[in-house]
Amino acid sequence: MTQEITFWVLAVIAVLGALLAVRRRNLIHGVFALMIFFAALAGLFLLLLAEFIAAVQILVYIGAVGILLLFAIMLTERVTGDDARDITSRGSFWGWAAALAVLVFLLLPTIQGADLPQTVQPINPSVKALGFKLMNPYVVTLEVLALLLTAALVGAVAAAQGGEKKKEDAGDA
Amino acid sequence: MPVTLEHCLILGAVLFCIGLLGAFTRRNAVVVLFSIEIMLNAANLNFIAFWRFSDNPDQLHGPLFTLFTIAVAAAEVAVGLALVIAVYRHFKTVDLEQLDTLKEE
Repeated sequence: MTQEITFWVLAVIAVLGALLAVRRRNLIHGVFALMIFFAALAGLFLLLLAEFIAAVQILVYIGAVGILLLFAIMLTERVTGDDARDITSRGSFWGWAAALAVLVFLLLPTIQGADLPQTVQPINPSVKALGFKLMNPYVVTLEVLALLLTAALVGAVAAAQGGEKKKEDAGDA
Repeated sequence: MPVTLEHCLILGAVLFCIGLLGAFTRRNAVVVLFSIEIMLNAANLNFIAFWRFSDNPDQLHGPLFTLFTIAVAAAEVAVGLALVIAVYRHFKTVDLEQLDTLKEE
């Protein structure tokens, strides 16, 4: 019973957070709503007994991605947005229609009553097992991921600096 | 009635479509980026839910895949935001409606 109430509370928070993040005109408010969404999802991961993933979710998403988004917003457009300008793009009706169509399509199996597993196996939560899994069968994946993160870091710095360098060159000439 | 797999999957579908809605209808590039994050998170929720209700959760496939997805998503955000900043330097806007240089006039 407690589990069910927790699920519903977290689900409502997650949906509201995502909706606010997507529809708010003020981008800073949007990012904070997004952080609430990430936190609610971390709670859901805890509820599903994936405690390490919940911790990673908070560390990576709220800690890193949220702050990065805040910086990107502050470095670019006017934060609150111009009231006169529409925040939705041209032909947004088709966007709504497509999103709703995808939702209906995704819910089709549920409407038809698909046969899903109902029982849960007992889990003994252990980060140790996860660590051993990462080191034994998935070590190549882990290394490739490390390489990808390094490449992304270098690429991000290069992409963000590219314009500046050109400007300096023009200034020197 | 306890929490079932259906609950988690429906929640995942709804969150995914909210992200899709944001990506389709907003004109700010940063908002489109975080709509994509919402979609990735919805997919992660599905991975964890399927793992929780699987026959042998000791294999830890769900958490491992989610871990890899989170790492890839973090890389994607870093590169995406760097691109947004580079585009802003060049065009002085992140409004996707105005970034139509490739479109034939």
